[in-house]
Amino acid sequence: MIKDMIDKQILELKKLWANKRQLTFQLLNLAMIVFSALMIWKGLMFMTKSESPVVVVLSGSMEPAFQRGDILFLNNSVEKVFVGDVVVFKIKDRDIPIVHRILKVHEKEDGRVELLTKGDNNRVDDRGLYAPGQLWLEREDILGKAVGTLRYVGMVTIALNDYPVLKYVLVGMMGLFVLTSKEG
Amino acid sequence: MHTVWVRLNAVVFFGLTVLLCLSILAALSKFNHTAHYQPIIKKLALNNMKSLKNHGGVDRALLSFDLQADMTPAFHWNIKQLFVYVIATYKTDTNPKNQIVLWDRIIENTDPPEKKQLNEKNVFVKYGLVDQGAELRGKEVELSLHWDHMPLTGTLFVGKQKEGTESAFVLPAEYL
Repeated sequence: MIKDMIDKQILELKKLWANKRQLTFQLLNLAMIVFSALMIWKGLMFMTKSESPVVVVLSGSMEPAFQRGDILFLNNSVEKVFVGDVVVFKIKDRDIPIVHRILKVHEKEDGRVELLTKGDNNRVDDRGLYAPGQLWLEREDILGKAVGTLRYVGMVTIALNDYPVLKYVLVGMMGLFVLTSKEG
Repeated sequence: MHTVWVRLNAVVFFGLTVLLCLSILAALSKFNHTAHYQPIIKKLALNNMKSLKNHGGVDRALLSFDLQADMTPAFHWNIKQLFVYVIATYKTDTNPKNQIVLWDRIIENTDPPEKKQLNEKNVFVKYGLVDQGAELRGKEVELSLHWDHMPLTGTLFVGKQKEGTESAFVLPAEYL
């Protein structure tokens, strides 16, 4: 049955290749989907002033509030962050941002702040996670304040990261469907 | 052409859309909850000053406090948990504003009702009141209760004790 379907898809592709006008139409269709997604992402970046407006929770350090696979919406357009806010921050020379809660805020006379964070589910504060010798975070280290959450959606991302093959299979299949579907 | 794949794709996509809409509706359903239901804070005040010492150049105060509050009104069906915390706020000469969490607790929605009533007598701080320098002596410290609403789905927001009802105390003028 699967073979049957594959044959059908190949036949469709061959037909499409013969009909250049149809091929152009379908390719434009595919491009529109890709660019819409990109536009939404960039638009979100613009509105939230955050370089990654949506993040996936990867660790259990904020359990039970956030589990692995939950997604968080970030807002970085807030000027100040307060003690108790859940924030996502980046440590120098580390790729993966961390989602934790602010435990201490020391505000200087010129408005600069020095922050210390801690995961709700961790026993100690985050000094051990910071760069060697780093005692405090600053406002620039923060990618955004968590303002909303949606559960399980991030599971897809985690699966795609854990099994890279899946990424190509999924993207390939989606592209194929868009190309061969006649309804669009 | 209606192949199995096209149908499967349509069903999955439609299912996900419905789930997303339901999530948004769930979040919207309790939109104005805090305007009508607020936790009742009966007491939050210093009980005992245990020590104020200098450790390696920074001042550290250890203390205990009393806390009585009914957090039940803050809960509703879209709240997974409350993160309740006590903040100490004080001023020093170098830092115009310092805020430090002294104590926190997670109350889950599934916890029994008596756990949603905080009744802490002479409870010791979880995190010491540690300054960035050695400027704690004789400073006035304000204690206030805050709670972060953590939803099943939807927005996160912080609630806090009504302004003017916080309690304050003055740290000892000498180390003890």
